[in-house]
Amino acid sequence: MEKFNLRVFRYDPTVDEEPKYETYTLPLEKGMTVLAALFKVKEEQDPSISFRYNCRAAICGSCAVRINGHAKLACKEQITKLLKQFDTDTLTVEPAGNIKVLKDLIFDMDWIVDKMKKVKPWFIPKEPPPEDGTEYRQSPEDHAKIDFASDCILCASCMSDCNALSVNKEFLGPLVLSKAYRFAADTRDGAKRERLEAVLDKFNLEWCVRCWECTTRCPKEVQPYENIIRLRIMAAEEGFKSPGEIHAEIFEQDIVNRGLLNEMLLPFRQEGLLGGLKRAPFGIKMFLKGKVNIADFFGGHSIPRIEEVQKIYEKAQEKKKEVHIKIPQILGLVYEDKRKSKKNKESSSNGGQE
Amino acid sequence: MADLKYAFYTGCSAKGVAPELYDSTMLVAEKLGMELVELEAATCCGAGAVQEKDEFLAITINARNLALAEEMGLDMLTICNTCTVMLRESKFKLDSDPELKKAVNEVLAEAGLEYKGTVEVTHFLWEVIDAVGLDKLKELVVRPLKEFKVASFYGCHIIRPPYLIGYEDPDNPKSMEMVIQACGATPVEHDARLACCGFHSFWSAEDEVTLKLTAKDAQSAKKEKADFMVTPCPLCHTQLDAMQPEAEEKIGTNIGMPILHLPQMIGLALGMNPKKLGLHKHIVPTAEIIKKLAA
Ligand code: SF4
Ligand code: SF4
Ligand code: FES
Repeated sequence: MEKFNLRVFRYDPTVDEEPKYETYTLPLEKGMTVLAALFKVKEEQDPSISFRYNCRAAICGSCAVRINGHAKLACKEQITKLLKQFDTDTLTVEPAGNIKVLKDLIFDMDWIVDKMKKVKPWFIPKEPPPEDGTEYRQSPEDHAKIDFASDCILCASCMSDCNALSVNKEFLGPLVLSKAYRFAADTRDGAKRERLEAVLDKFNLEWCVRCWECTTRCPKEVQPYENIIRLRIMAAEEGFKSPGEIHAEIFEQDIVNRGLLNEMLLPFRQEGLLGGLKRAPFGIKMFLKGKVNIADFFGGHSIPRIEEVQKIYEKAQEKKKEVHIKIPQILGLVYEDKRKSKKNKESSSNGGQE
Repeated sequence: MADLKYAFYTGCSAKGVAPELYDSTMLVAEKLGMELVELEAATCCGAGAVQEKDEFLAITINARNLALAEEMGLDMLTICNTCTVMLRESKFKLDSDPELKKAVNEVLAEAGLEYKGTVEVTHFLWEVIDAVGLDKLKELVVRPLKEFKVASFYGCHIIRPPYLIGYEDPDNPKSMEMVIQACGATPVEHDARLACCGFHSFWSAEDEVTLKLTAKDAQSAKKEKADFMVTPCPLCHTQLDAMQPEAEEKIGTNIGMPILHLPQMIGLALGMNPKKLGLHKHIVPTAEIIKKLAA
């Protein structure tokens, strides 16, 4: 029978000084999940191994682990598929990243709960319930803005692989920010500004580096990264001033006035004269290396057909008031280059005849 | 053989702080038989900044950019990861929401333009592999980089998110390693291969996040004794190269990891002059690489 190896992170802080890895060899069974493999190890080889689980059906969010470096639900992932995906006979299973390990594959969920409390992830009604004794209501369009974000199962896969969190544990993280969005965007909620203030504390919302790991890892339709952007849009609409907001304004102005960004004047406009001067040595270094054009210090050139952009800008300001941009469904979707699909179609329709 | 003519979307960086990327792309593309017709009237893609203030405007300006390529009847080729994902994000939204497309086209009509959705947005890296082909590249290599250990740095937006990129498995991409090998060099495994350079939070979290990521990435390649890192994205390049001294200062350690743009590495393997490829324009010195090449 075919076999594979499960290389598992082991750590018991009450006895071990350092974490270690132990490798277990198992027979390869059809349809076996990583969670099933962990059970097999526990039952037949090593009863001391600890991991978390409950539903075994990708619903409860208890079993997130890192498999070959990426956060996944152990109960959802099939061994045969993973071996093929990573072209290997050994899978490394580690606890979710970025979070304190309690034992083996079990991480500290309390740390996340404490972070969540900051954004008050519960409904704070705007007004008393309807007098006729019915429930709070909202239109299907309004509900569509939060429906998908309510699907979070608190698995922490997004937190595990977040790049900003990997270097700074003070970052609220995608799970928490996504929760903040879910409530701040709820038309029945009365604490929108309070939540925005909480996520903008030290501009935490803008520590996100747009790496898109959270959305890539999320096993549900939550779209954590996109929700962070939606929160930033809400903050801009509510009139909060932040570095990100100033940055966006500079981009907007440059697109309208010259088409491309003027990177050389950016520091002055972003951080004012003093901030810009602080970065002057950097600018000079870039200039001496021949990386920047001196003309850019004086505004530089604009693209051809810039008048066209200006007309579009004006018109877009009017138009956007009547447009409602739908939130797309993205779970499991993989972008397909139409040239490739065309080619595949052609070759399959020719298939066998050539 | 596939058609190798493209509407070339340079992005701001190649026209701004990374002129060596523009130069090396043009030289290498010509040698590989690619014809790049520059979209001179294109604007910035919004870089995620405009997107988080005014989503409709961001989609509209990119619809215009795409319409310019449609005017030429050519697929759009970019040399920046973030341009790729931003243009594709706009395209995805326009193509999946007919009402939005209609509204955007009413705006574009002001300038006599229309977005139809007939062209693709692709990246130089992917076209080198799929359209030029690695066999062809190998044939053209005259100076195999056999003495070099090279650490790839993909940059987020060329692998994530799958619904906008989808070129390869984001958990285990291989394209960069394939090109490194075709150039005769040895790819090295390292921890930060798929990590983030930190660029996009520079103005809001330079100390809290950005420079720490930059340092971690450069150190990861250093730990595996790479001769240099190579990236398909000019934003990663600016962050990892131009900002590396600041990152070193932040952690109080010297790293000194040279960072090459993807076309620069290919250019070296094609026997091109390092100066023409702009290696002298980097902030982290590339002298060791040039010395090794000449030896
Ligand atoms: S996109 Fe932002 S929140 Fe999501 S994983 Fe990356 S840094 Fe974290
Ligand atoms: S947002 Fe997605 S990945 Fe993050 S905790 Fe919720 S379900 Fe898990
Ligand atoms: S055990 Fe419930 S999600 Fe895996």
